[in-house]
Amino acid sequence: MLRMSISGLAERWQLFVGATLSVCLGVALVQSSLLLLISAATLDPPAGLSPAERLRFSDSAEASVALLGVTLGFSAFLAVFIISSTFAFTVAQRRRDLALLRLVGGGRRHVRRLLMGEALLLGLIGTVTGVPAGLAVMALQTRLLVGFGFVPGGFTGQWRDWILGASAGVGLGLALAGVLVAARRAARVRPLDALRDPDAGRVMTAGRWLTGLFFAAGAVALIILAPVGGPAGGQALTMNVSLCAAVALSLLAPVLVPGVARLIPAAGVTGMLARANLRDEVRRSAATAAPLIVLIGVVFGQVGASASFAAAGVAEQRRGTAADLVVETTGPGFPAVAGVASFSSETETPLRITTGRGDTADTLIQSALVVEPAAFARAHPGSGYLQALRGNAVAGGPGREGFSRGDTVTAHFAGTDHSLPVVAEVPTTIGGGAALLVPAGLLPADQLAGAPTRTFVTLAPGADPARVTAELSTVGTVTGVDDWLRADAEARTSTSDDIMLIVLGLGGLYALIGVVNAVVIAAAARGREFAAARATGLTRLQVLRAALLESSAVTMIGVFLGALAAAGTYVAVLATTSAVTGTATLDLPWTLMAVLAVVAFVVTGLTSLLTSWSATRVAPVSLLGAWE
Amino acid sequence: MTTTSTPTTTAVALRGVSRGYGRGATAVRAVDDVDVEFRRGTWTAVMGPSGSGKSTLLHLAAGLERADSGRVLLGDTDITAASDNELTALRRTRIGFVFQSFNLIGSLSAEQNVALPLRLARRRPGRAQVRQALDDVGLGDRARHRPRELSGGQQQRVAIARAMVTAPEVLFADEPTGALDSTAARTVLDLLRAMADRGQSIVMVTHDPAAAARADGVLFLRDGRLVDHLAGASAREVADRLVALER
Repeated sequence: MLRMSISGLAERWQLFVGATLSVCLGVALVQSSLLLLISAATLDPPAGLSPAERLRFSDSAEASVALLGVTLGFSAFLAVFIISSTFAFTVAQRRRDLALLRLVGGGRRHVRRLLMGEALLLGLIGTVTGVPAGLAVMALQTRLLVGFGFVPGGFTGQWRDWILGASAGVGLGLALAGVLVAARRAARVRPLDALRDPDAGRVMTAGRWLTGLFFAAGAVALIILAPVGGPAGGQALTMNVSLCAAVALSLLAPVLVPGVARLIPAAGVTGMLARANLRDEVRRSAATAAPLIVLIGVVFGQVGASASFAAAGVAEQRRGTAADLVVETTGPGFPAVAGVASFSSETETPLRITTGRGDTADTLIQSALVVEPAAFARAHPGSGYLQALRGNAVAGGPGREGFSRGDTVTAHFAGTDHSLPVVAEVPTTIGGGAALLVPAGLLPADQLAGAPTRTFVTLAPGADPARVTAELSTVGTVTGVDDWLRADAEARTSTSDDIMLIVLGLGGLYALIGVVNAVVIAAAARGREFAAARATGLTRLQVLRAALLESSAVTMIGVFLGALAAAGTYVAVLATTSAVTGTATLDLPWTLMAVLAVVAFVVTGLTSLLTSWSATRVAPVSLLGAWE
Repeated sequence: MTTTSTPTTTAVALRGVSRGYGRGATAVRAVDDVDVEFRRGTWTAVMGPSGSGKSTLLHLAAGLERADSGRVLLGDTDITAASDNELTALRRTRIGFVFQSFNLIGSLSAEQNVALPLRLARRRPGRAQVRQALDDVGLGDRARHRPRELSGGQQQRVAIARAMVTAPEVLFADEPTGALDSTAARTVLDLLRAMADRGQSIVMVTHDPAAAARADGVLFLRDGRLVDHLAGASAREVADRLVALER
């Protein structure tokens, strides 16, 4: 049996190179993300830091752990999807071989064993090559993380010996899992299928319908839940809509392909041929489109959501700021300057805060803002009534999570725990911010020394802005409020872009390679078909043109369904921003999306041209004469 | 599978077997209430116009398709309601197939193709046994060749060796010479004749009168029904009978 596996591998090498590559890169990506996550989570602060600096260090480490957690989640999702769909496709492409095996006396058990044996072999090769490839990916990811300042300069991913086990689990486990379902199905192939046209199997099985509809229902549920999930929860739910929808649509694609095929102009013989092929080979078309649906759905969904939330945050910041100048200093304290009508000084410091009690208690490093309540309410319209903020009474900040007015939180400072009643709260915001607003005098002065302070200054009527600016420049950096808002918006957008690049950059590349794989696997079994077309009188050029047209149509289907999946996320974005900020916001990075769509068309087009060119290199007669 | 008391002079028997395709207006009865017995140790050809149901009859007799009604007996074994596993075991041990399209596995050498049924039956394929099967079809020197390195006639002979390596009770052949030139076809028919003379039961579907004339007897089918029977006829007689049927 194993010998048959191996000779089978040699024969259909394109299929198996594709499958192995999907395992190798999937293992590499997951391994790298996992190692980086563990390294960031166990990162120790450098010696000689003050308690406040240590707190700040841990705060930024927690942020990078969260970022890497999301990256790992995406990598794992893509690995599961791409590996299992690639393996299932390779099985579907070999229906005739398997029927032949049944015809000469192979039992269902033999078919299953043959396929599982192959999956094991390919999974093993993929894992063995994936582990070193993972080290290269890790070096690249580390450079990105350090370059964008998400981790301190000397950060390196640490090797863990157990990762070998984890990577083997990912590579072998996913390869076997991908084949398991497909093999059960393939084992039911009827021996007679070897004598007829292969691929007579029904594509849309009950299981496929059910799984597809299950994920579709999941996407709808997420859209409904996102607006009630609060700012942070809503954003997380929103991001997952396109994942669910992309899986659902790729499973349901066989139902949708014929409809799209009808859109191809049937002009000329190549158009007619491409259209007929698409409709006739629904399984192949759907399998080729699947990785593309996920790539487009995830990337369009994520970048669109991320840009929209950044835009909503900017608009919110603009509405919630009433001042003329912004002064940035360090530590508390602000001088009295003539011409200043009022000012709100806000000093930001990380604080270890415990919310909830008993089993639900949760301790996190969160950010606290030291404010003067009346001035804060003036500088930030819509903040509500904050006068009760004095002594150890605090208010819920715009970025709070897990507590609200009436609760008591525990904060750790000055060497001991303090119970702080939450007596007021400001509206939560999509852009986040401090979890806690605390009155001046609560926190010890040494914790606030060196902490960044932002002062919103309102000028007195008739005051000369230039003179006040000049005078304030002696204490800190002074910016006009419009310039400050603009810079703040740019910083938010740039951070959200950086995050997207880290989370999706390599994953997107992986998915794109998955797309190329699917195109190559689809074309690998078509030598005879092309030969028959040429023997009927089509020139080689016409065959290539039909193949190109067909691949463009499949790409169109993939991009369309991917965009549909992303649209699910956009609906959730509109609902969430409307619920949180009062204004439904959608801001899509059209250029990036257009570039990705063009790249998809170019990559699939080139791949399909190359594969069909090489499949038509030999004279058609030699292929038609010999049955494989 | 149940064992009946049918005399075992019969290799395969179909009793009142029908098989239809499609529904409603497009329904076709490919095989319509056929009773037939293929005697042990004889070579029977099945002929008929296109669409007469001859391939379906062969598939039914071989357990590749299930009858809508009637019974199918292989020797004294009733295979009408046999499970997939039971039919698989039959294909490995008691039935051999040869088809128009040779259906060899392209990635395996001639030798490996021939050994495949034995390996599937978990019998350790003796090198000598496999070589003998290839020698019997005159291809002992081509054992290590891949199918695509062989001519059509040679590929069909490898397929015959693969079918015969398990010493099946019945060899089913569906247009075995359909894709071959006349010289290669003659070699294959000579092989089948020699096997039948040694006592091999063969059921062959063909539309070539010359091929049918090499068999011991010829059955004629039209519209899914048995309409005629000839024994020891010449190619000329077979052809005349076939033309009469198509009129």
